Amino acid sequence: MNTHVKHQQEFKDRREKDLLRHILKTSWRYKLWIAFLVLVIAIGMYGYYRQLKYGLIVTAMRDYTSWGIYISNFVFFVAISLVGSLFSSILKLNKNEWSKPLTRISEIIAVSAIICAIVIIIVDMGRPDRFFYVIKYLRIQSPIIWDVIIISTYLVISLILLYSSLLPDLALCRDRLTVIPKWKKKLYRILAINWRNHPNQLAMLQKVTKILAISVLPVAFAIHTVTSWLFATTWRPGWDSTNLGPYFVSGAFMAGAAAIIIAMYFIRKSLHLKAYITEAHFDKMGKLLVLLSLVYLYFNINEYLGPAFKMVGVEGEHIIELFVGKYAPMYWFVQLGGLVLPIVFLLFKGMRRSFPIFIISTFIILGAWFKRFLIVIPSLQHPYLPIQGVDESYLHYDPTWEEWAITLASFAWFLLIITVLIKLFPVIPIKKHEHVSKRHPILNF
Amino acid sequence: MKTKILHSAWGLKISCLVFIMIFNANIVCGQDDEIKEEAKIALSFNEDDRSKIIVATATNISNEPIEDLELYFYIKRSFSNLPIGDFFNSTDETGVVEVEFPADLPGDSEGNVTILVKLMDSDLYNDQTIETVKKWGVPSPSPDHIDEKRSLWAAAANAPIPLIIIISALIFSIWFIIFYIIYILFKINKIGIIDSKP
Repeated sequence: MNTHVKHQQEFKDRREKDLLRHILKTSWRYKLWIAFLVLVIAIGMYGYYRQLKYGLIVTAMRDYTSWGIYISNFVFFVAISLVGSLFSSILKLNKNEWSKPLTRISEIIAVSAIICAIVIIIVDMGRPDRFFYVIKYLRIQSPIIWDVIIISTYLVISLILLYSSLLPDLALCRDRLTVIPKWKKKLYRILAINWRNHPNQLAMLQKVTKILAISVLPVAFAIHTVTSWLFATTWRPGWDSTNLGPYFVSGAFMAGAAAIIIAMYFIRKSLHLKAYITEAHFDKMGKLLVLLSLVYLYFNINEYLGPAFKMVGVEGEHIIELFVGKYAPMYWFVQLGGLVLPIVFLLFKGMRRSFPIFIISTFIILGAWFKRFLIVIPSLQHPYLPIQGVDESYLHYDPTWEEWAITLASFAWFLLIITVLIKLFPVIPIKKHEHVSKRHPILNF
Repeated sequence: MKTKILHSAWGLKISCLVFIMIFNANIVCGQDDEIKEEAKIALSFNEDDRSKIIVATATNISNEPIEDLELYFYIKRSFSNLPIGDFFNSTDETGVVEVEFPADLPGDSEGNVTILVKLMDSDLYNDQTIETVKKWGVPSPSPDHIDEKRSLWAAAANAPIPLIIIISALIFSIWFIIFYIIYILFKINKIGIIDSKP
């Protein structure tokens, strides 16, 4: 079948062939991967069915630890979603040519992550049917409302960002791909909105790209700063900090960059794109990751030094629990394995090659997830008011299988959305329009 | 041999017990139902400038006062009942028990509170609850009539104006950009339609 398709389909040049062929052929590996993800999602759905049926009692969340791994996971996904703005705005406005092939991957990851963040918040609600009450009885003073507004705004901007960069390639898919199913032809035709490479269309799209590159940045900063304010405005040890906004944003950029490297590694291998995602890209990403990690390290020192120096009351108890107590193994794994050691290793050129940097990025991502766990859970277990006469289950938090199943399913959703988007659309921009803007050549797509 | 005898003795004991219980099932199971009777509890309310007293008088079916009958006094609140009076409130030899009503309890907008007097878990009398509405509470204005100042902790309608202006301005500016981009995308579509026409 595949050879048959190859014979029928004609490409204009090698670039087109390399970047479009994965849309035409579906390997058994792809099917197996999709089946695996669907299986994980199905198990998670069963866990969620139990949660809906019996209520949040099936989770380990109680009166004190009322935000569990769902909220850690939510913060993690919001963090990952910031990567879209890193590439589509910061690197683009700084005229980095090397990052162009990676922009679309970052936008796909951003869209997928923000969708999962929204879903996980609804999962965290004991009564999801009451979600619209949040809108109906809106209190503009509530940071949760700020978060709902900014997340929905960022989702729309991320979708437009991905769509506008895809537009010329969608038209190319519509015009060039002949041996594809009817629904795919229809999909490309509708999404390409009569794109004809007309000079006026190019000028308008360039304008859109420029506006988006500038406007996505404050929204991206706002989304994670507001998420950090959910914590900073709640009176708990570890959260009562003015450092929390930049601490969250810098951590998000680091986690996002690591996520891109992992995605680059798999996309490069599975789609045979070694000529497009090169070792030089990994090297550049490695350097960028060191920079972002150093910024995050700086805010980490700020975050812990003050309370650890003073050791005041419950703040001190919280620090002891993190440094030498119950959460010490996780804390030191996160700080050393997920932050300090990656910085040291990535200073060496050999470590910035595709495979070592992929391993290092995996550790950073694991560290980033557990870091969110450490931000959320230990703080909740140390309220300022003394804990007296409560059930034993209130005193600790060990997530139940339902919570793990749902969390893993959210990861599977995240990967499924990325996989489907990569399968449907060219992952690296095919069309180049360098000639359009002489004044701002970098803002071409 | 000794243990065998012991086991048999135990077996015999249990069998006898079961036998007795079966033949006296109405006594074993229905004991309470047969003996318990209805108590009559009358409430009266004494009020002067300094105090408000709830007086409960308990009599049996022959109109004789019931002594040492424990009664429980509550005020109905939004989520549960608030106990008032002492820990134990028992009737005296005249069948009377008095409980002071707290002077500072909020009632509804007119000051109405629901007083509950309960007879529970008595060996001799059936459970019962008497519910009375009295205008003894402190009137609480309904949320609509509270003269709330604009603040971060106020109701939605009383959010601080600077906060409303800042957030609305931010939302408006970013969504204006989003709609402007969507408008440009529509224009791109239109150009394409014109361009594709022969």
